[in-house]
Amino acid sequence: MTLLRRVPRRLIQLTCFIGAIVLVWPLLPWTIAPRLFQQISPFVALSSDIARRSIDAGAILALAVAIIASFKKRWFCLYLCPTGFLLENTSHVGLRKSRWWGKVPPIGRYVAILTIVGSIAGYPVLMWMDPLCIFSSPFAINKATNPYSAVLVSLGLGVLVGATFLFGMLWCVRICPLSGFQDMLYISRKALWTRLAGRAAKRKFAESAGSGTSGAQLVNISGASASNAAGSRAKTSPDRGSKTLRESRRLFFAGAGGAMLALLARRVGAARYRKGNTLLRPPGAVPEDRFAGLCIRCNNCVHACPSKIIQPDTGREGGLAGFGAPLIRFDRDYQYCLETCNECTQVCPTGALTALPLEQKNKYVIGEALVDNNLCLLALGKKECDACELACPYDAIKIRWDEDQYIAYPGIDLNKCTGCGACQVVCPVTPVKAIRVWTLKSA
Amino acid sequence: MAKKLTRRELMQHSVAAGGLFAAGSLMPVSPALANQASQDGAEITQTDRSPAVLDHDKVVQPRRELPVLKKTGVLVVGGGPAGTAAAFSAKRMGVDVTLVERYGYLGGLATGGLVLGIFPLYDRNNKQVIFGFTEEMMKKLDVMKYGIIDRHKAPVYPTFDAEAMKYILADMTLSSGITAFLDCWGVDAIVDGRGAVRGAVFESKSGRQAILADIVIDCSGDGDIYAAAGAAFEKVKHNIGLISRIGNIEEVDMAPGRGSEGLPREHTFVGKIGTGRPSMGRVSDFNGHAGNSTPAPHVNWLNMAGPVGDALDVENLTELELRHRLGTWNNVEKLQKKPGNEKVYLTETAPQLGVRLSRLLDGAKKLTYAEIQSGAKFKDVIGYSGAYALAPEFQIPYGCLVPSKLENLLAAGRCISAEFKVADITRLIPVCWATGQAAGLAAALCIQDNVKPRNVSVAKLQKLLHEQGAYLG
Ligand SMILES: Cc1cc2nc3c(=O)[nH]c(=O)nc-3n(C[C@H](O)[C@H](O)[C@H](O)COP(=O)(O)OP(=O)(O)OC[C@H]3O[C@@H](n4cnc5c(N)ncnc54)[C@H](O)[C@@H]3O)c2cc1C
Ligand code: SF4
Ligand code: SF4
Repeated sequence: MTLLRRVPRRLIQLTCFIGAIVLVWPLLPWTIAPRLFQQISPFVALSSDIARRSIDAGAILALAVAIIASFKKRWFCLYLCPTGFLLENTSHVGLRKSRWWGKVPPIGRYVAILTIVGSIAGYPVLMWMDPLCIFSSPFAINKATNPYSAVLVSLGLGVLVGATFLFGMLWCVRICPLSGFQDMLYISRKALWTRLAGRAAKRKFAESAGSGTSGAQLVNISGASASNAAGSRAKTSPDRGSKTLRESRRLFFAGAGGAMLALLARRVGAARYRKGNTLLRPPGAVPEDRFAGLCIRCNNCVHACPSKIIQPDTGREGGLAGFGAPLIRFDRDYQYCLETCNECTQVCPTGALTALPLEQKNKYVIGEALVDNNLCLLALGKKECDACELACPYDAIKIRWDEDQYIAYPGIDLNKCTGCGACQVVCPVTPVKAIRVWTLKSA
Repeated sequence: MAKKLTRRELMQHSVAAGGLFAAGSLMPVSPALANQASQDGAEITQTDRSPAVLDHDKVVQPRRELPVLKKTGVLVVGGGPAGTAAAFSAKRMGVDVTLVERYGYLGGLATGGLVLGIFPLYDRNNKQVIFGFTEEMMKKLDVMKYGIIDRHKAPVYPTFDAEAMKYILADMTLSSGITAFLDCWGVDAIVDGRGAVRGAVFESKSGRQAILADIVIDCSGDGDIYAAAGAAFEKVKHNIGLISRIGNIEEVDMAPGRGSEGLPREHTFVGKIGTGRPSMGRVSDFNGHAGNSTPAPHVNWLNMAGPVGDALDVENLTELELRHRLGTWNNVEKLQKKPGNEKVYLTETAPQLGVRLSRLLDGAKKLTYAEIQSGAKFKDVIGYSGAYALAPEFQIPYGCLVPSKLENLLAAGRCISAEFKVADITRLIPVCWATGQAAGLAAALCIQDNVKPRNVSVAKLQKLLHEQGAYLG
């Protein structure tokens, strides 16, 4: 491992790191650039495509990455991953440089399996652990309108950098589902080759799976330590089959766990929505039972929204499962879901928000506006107010006259209301608005 | 400029004109009308009368010459916020001004309509953007006891007292040197052979009379004069209500913020602040409190939206005048049933029906909602409106006051040239004051520079507006 060989990798990494920033910032005048960035991850592409039962065009990139990774071990981590690059450099200045994680199981693989099986059940349970979305999330910080949002968007990367500083490269080597997924691709490809090439090659695979090493540092850490551990066990235990069996059993349990978690999360999500009053998702959101699973917390939508009305959930609305997932918040003056904008729907890498053309976005129902006539200045004869009627871009509000009560009130046509929030943000009543957007009740 | 005619001169004019016409008329003068007893018993022969006649089931108005009550420089029809602003601003330019109002007091909806809130005055940062005549009026109210409340408390806007406003306007009328005719309805426009407006015809206890003018400003709110003159306009319908004032209500003015709570009064809560999901379509029964504070202690003004109606249909207006008064009384009775409200009483219903919009001029420029939402800037800006709903504060161009074709006439107030959604904002009191002031000054410039309204020098107009304290950005 010469200096010469290390420098070009560094250069490639740096280039990719900068490239990643260019994509997610986005410094390109191209709305979907951030989305493409996360779609490069084959882990995300596969899980989300399965969960949605449809294939996104972005999957082509992911497929390319997957193919290369299946030939070149952890190729993505070594060269492309900006998170890896950041963490690797953090570890250089970090407190713990030793490779102490030998005994730690390859959690990343279980996470990947759990998620992929979960996605068969429609809910990719831990897809949010993908390192690319963790990387891009803090870029949304300029759209954070409160300290909670600022913390939430930077939490993932913050934790990773902090943990790496304290404990070294544990994440990359053992926990990251993208690296685990690459490992599995690599192993599966090998297994396939072996089967094709017959018994002799099969033996060779067992060795390499147990002792694969590489010149590059990342794989060195990961592969070497993993193989060392495995290798030492292999030495003490003559029964190599039991090791692979144990591994398969774990993977099986991870998968089964994924399926169960997925079903549970879907039930909980649906129930929450039914109970919810203020659980509002950005336009294009898939039904609530699957939303929190499909959403990887990349915060692309938060970042994209010119009105800054999309903010990550502290868990108050969506519970544990919905932690960090985007919510619509109409809590700032004049900021609503613009009838001229569909940006958020264009940047979602997983399809948690369906990419909607503007015209369709303007038909997507975020929630329903309801008036509290005990607060409305018009209904109480307090002021000359028709602000909500004037503001509604969809002509859903008409001041109605109740002949019996001899009182007027804003009448809302729920067939026209999209829950865009324009009425709520102009209603002069404070601190609780007389007209607010509520979670849709299909009843 | 035209000088005021004395009553005697007027009589002479009318008699001469009437006689001339009666002689030439095809129809004989009705004998019943011809001889009437005067107070002291002396017989007066009304040779100047030429009543409408029934001619084969058709009512025909005979052709007749009208007495000219006055010749004036600027004739302002309608004495509401726009009309008074126009008249007093023009008068300051030294031109002869005549103001005609159909009711017995000035102020229009702002006094007779009991519309007491002055808004929208502020931009989104709570900075006042309407000054000029508006600020002048508020300053006059400032020094009157119980004249105005909530000055400089943006976003809460000021509320004034109707009687204080009437006092100020009467005082200004008497001291400014304008000629005013109250209880005098503008019923027709006078146009010359080329279709240009030359004055207007009025109906009052003195009969039907004409006022000739160099420039007519239509501040009738309903565009009565420009419609009569043949200008193009859009007819629209809006809610028509009737405002009232209720007394003994303070203890149930639920709006906190009176004093120490720190919340502006317009912000209302009822019991626990509603976090519950409201049920669709349930209408409040005032929930024990209604209306909004006025400068008069223990008195609220109670707004009413009313049903959408046709403000140009007398039957519709009559029906609403009657039913709104019953409805208001009934609502006050409902209020009285709420605990703590037993002593609430109806102080008065507004003398004047709450007509919001009826005609919108087809002007040299029609201000659009898209323009005001995007903060469009105009070279011929003559004033501002404050921010309302999704519209930030916006400029009003002079073109909105000038008819697309008709000459010698300007419009101001709620009947100017704007899309419905814009007019729904420009109809509000301070904006009417602003357009009225601009129209008054423009009319004076027309006379001084001997130009048509559409050719007024915008630079000069803006300079004058500046001098009179208006805000133009
Ligand atoms: C129910 C209601 C509530 C409102 N609340 C508010 C509020 O809270 N704040 C706010 O700023 N604005 C409010 N407004 C709007 C505002 O009061 C009016 O739009 C504004 O006063 C219009 O001014 P104007 O001078 O153009 O017309 P008007 O005030 O209508 O004045 C027109 C004048 O012309 C006279 N007139 C009409 N026709 C003739 C004629 N043919 N001949 C002679 N005279 C004539 C009328 O008698 C009247 O005096 C409200 C309006 C209504 C109806
Ligand atoms: S949320 Fe309000 S403004 Fe938006 S469509 Fe519904 S009623 Fe209209
Ligand atoms: S904006 Fe608010 S106070 Fe005004 S009419 Fe609508 S609900 Fe009522």
